[in-house]
Amino acid sequence: MWTIYLLIFITLVLGVGAWFLFLWAVKSGQYDDPERPKYTMLDEDDED
Amino acid sequence: MALLTCDHCLLTFPAREALSEEVQGVKKTFCCPGCRGIYWLIQEEGCADFYKKRTWEENGTPPAGLGKGELDLRPFTGQVRDSSSAAKAPGRLREIDIYIDGIRCASCVWLNEKFLKKTAGVVYAAVNYATHRARIRWDPEVTGLGTILQRVRAIGYTPRPYVESERFRAQKAEARDLLIRFGTAAFLSSQLMVFSMALYAGYFQGIEGEMKILLEMIALALTVPVVFYAGMPFIRNTLRGLRQLSFNMDSLIAIGSLSAFAFSLWQMFRGGEVYFDTAAMIVTLVLLGRYLETTAKGKAYGTIEMLAEMLPQEATVLTGTGQEHRPLAAVQPGDLVQVKPGERIPLDGVVVSGESESDEALLTGESRPVPKIPGSLVIGGSTNLYGSIVFAVKHTGEETTLARIIRAVEDGQAQKPRLQILADRSVGLFVPSLLLVAALTVAAYLLAGKAPETALMAGISVLVIACPCSLGLATPLAILTFTTHTSSRGILVRGGEVIENAKKITHVIFDKTGTITIGKPVLKDIIALDHAVGKEELLCLAASLESLSEHNLAQAIAGAAKGRGIQGVSEFKALPGKGVLGKIGERKICLGNMRLMAEQGISLPGGNKGGTALSSVAPGDTVMFMAWDGLPRAAFVVADGIRDEARAVVAELREMKLRVSIISGDNNQATQYVAAAVGLGEARAEASPVDKKEAIRALQERNQHVLMIGDGINDAPALTEATLGIAMGRGTDIARESAAVVLIRDDLRLIPYFLRASRKVYGIIRQNIFWALFYNVAAIPLAVAGLLHPIVAAGAMAASSLFVVGNSLRIRRMV
Repeated sequence: MWTIYLLIFITLVLGVGAWFLFLWAVKSGQYDDPERPKYTMLDEDDED
Repeated sequence: MALLTCDHCLLTFPAREALSEEVQGVKKTFCCPGCRGIYWLIQEEGCADFYKKRTWEENGTPPAGLGKGELDLRPFTGQVRDSSSAAKAPGRLREIDIYIDGIRCASCVWLNEKFLKKTAGVVYAAVNYATHRARIRWDPEVTGLGTILQRVRAIGYTPRPYVESERFRAQKAEARDLLIRFGTAAFLSSQLMVFSMALYAGYFQGIEGEMKILLEMIALALTVPVVFYAGMPFIRNTLRGLRQLSFNMDSLIAIGSLSAFAFSLWQMFRGGEVYFDTAAMIVTLVLLGRYLETTAKGKAYGTIEMLAEMLPQEATVLTGTGQEHRPLAAVQPGDLVQVKPGERIPLDGVVVSGESESDEALLTGESRPVPKIPGSLVIGGSTNLYGSIVFAVKHTGEETTLARIIRAVEDGQAQKPRLQILADRSVGLFVPSLLLVAALTVAAYLLAGKAPETALMAGISVLVIACPCSLGLATPLAILTFTTHTSSRGILVRGGEVIENAKKITHVIFDKTGTITIGKPVLKDIIALDHAVGKEELLCLAASLESLSEHNLAQAIAGAAKGRGIQGVSEFKALPGKGVLGKIGERKICLGNMRLMAEQGISLPGGNKGGTALSSVAPGDTVMFMAWDGLPRAAFVVADGIRDEARAVVAELREMKLRVSIISGDNNQATQYVAAAVGLGEARAEASPVDKKEAIRALQERNQHVLMIGDGINDAPALTEATLGIAMGRGTDIARESAAVVLIRDDLRLIPYFLRASRKVYGIIRQNIFWALFYNVAAIPLAVAGLLHPIVAAGAMAASSLFVVGNSLRIRRMV
């Protein structure tokens, strides 16, 4: 029985972790310019 | 001599002015020192890739203003702020948002970013691909704002102060808020699904009571934030609407999720089945729809700020003792203001001295430069082209033409009623009937002698099953598929109302200049007045002369001879407002208007009437004469070219049972001529920007729905006022910002295509709404019978969502 409790606990921790990651992404502006990423891969920048 | 192409700006120019330079063993040509300078700078900074990467479809403008005049820093300084991320970097950093004008492709963005980042002292620079807005962060101890902005100018772009309008900021905040709510709801719902699945399995296989309660408790804990945090906007709007007894989508969502939540809570203590997943999914899917909708709105609402930027900051006022630069607000009516060639005219007034021409195309729709002599009216915001003039100020502040346009745009934006979308209208009837069914169910149970508790629960379960969560997706998904598809065809669509508006259109109004016509003069005909010389030779001679002139009529002739040989010209002289003189071989040629011919003592056929006596001259055309040795040799008819497809498009729109007309700021003759040429009887000429708007409003008050197509600043009020505004892609930024649809390719055929496609998509949306409701309504009898189970609710939800998604994807093949 305790394995189920453990697994439930793990799923919740993972879920909440992902949620915090998402909140961070939005707050730091990751979703502000969805046009950009498709071009960044074409820029052959060696310095950064 | 031939025409060359500049290696920097891709402009075609006469070889006479070429500057050549060896770059890494390859010969490069430039049209002006500005372009050469930029080319070198870009090479030196190791950004040469720019030239390989760029995907320009047409040439750019040579950097005429480069180095000329200091960049006015004042509008920028107010926008500088202390960087919020200063804590992470040593010292205090400064930050500013600017708008970079002249960006046309992804490589421009890359180049600007590269250059800014390479500037000493700049810590961070990012240019937004969609909005062309740059955020720059720098160390004030190493560099200054002036240096940074100068770097942007040095590569040929123009930095402008970026002022976010209140509405735009609110829209951005709303989109971010929705994203956070949706994301939160989605994460919690996906967690919730795990536990719901376990509970479903438990229902079929049997489950220990203790375990069931545990899973339900976790489900409850996960659902509470979804319904009461993520779903809060729905609950709030429902409470607001309740007071006026109005029902919309939000009320349906709130009723559905809250009743599912309450029902489950009660079931938990009774040992029944729970519907937490239904409650959470309704909220999540509808939030997804809302988020898609806000992102489709895109960037908008910059119009008014851009209009205000059209005026220079100050004017050169002539005083008794000399001249003085004064801010516009300090200029009084009656003051004398001097304007040099190439400068913008700051205010409305009457010319007192000097002769010039001014480009008023953007403000009035007049395609040709307008001659200005003492006594002519000048308009603030237009550009003075060739000569220096002095004018007496007539209007200032709110009274100027430009200020009136701004007010008309503001009015239009403020008064536009928010359209109630189809989904909302369908729900308006659905919610009350749903509540009625629920009430009848309760009544029936009570009459049948059941316990009040059972009766109430049966009633609530009707509400639970009837709430169609895919209804929130029905419209946004269809719109998203549609806009993604049309943008690949060259149509940018802003906002979801566009489709419903496009379907209602009854009347199509075109602007003339730049919309039906190309907006710049092209050579229409050559009339030989001396039949000894062939037309080819006449054109060649004229083009050789005119390729040296900057006048746009001259460029029409030069452009027509593109690819043919050009002869060397000596003793070239341009006479502003008249024409050009020059010597080719032994011939001393003069080429220009009637005034020039009269000055040169050349008598023209038809005497004073000049060009109009010639057969192929239509109203609105400009005629230029070429003469040598005292005799007229040829007449060149230049006109604003009508787009090739215009006539066919008008006919097609007529076939779609739409009324089509033209409204123009140009004179009556020219307008009637163009109208007749494309097969239109209805044309209104000499309409001011405000007249255009009023004309549209008058039609709309008679229940006509107007589609306005335009390109200029003078169309902005009309584009805002119309049911649907379409701007030409090559038009002014201001027109594009005022319109809900932008044609990236200036192809009028996209208009009937777009209208047809919108009608089809509207049909898809209606199907979506019907089927979204259908699956849930079909399950209502189960709820009434008290046989409802969470799996039925989940199944109805999945079936209708799948249908909506699949049906929306069909749009890609249909349009």
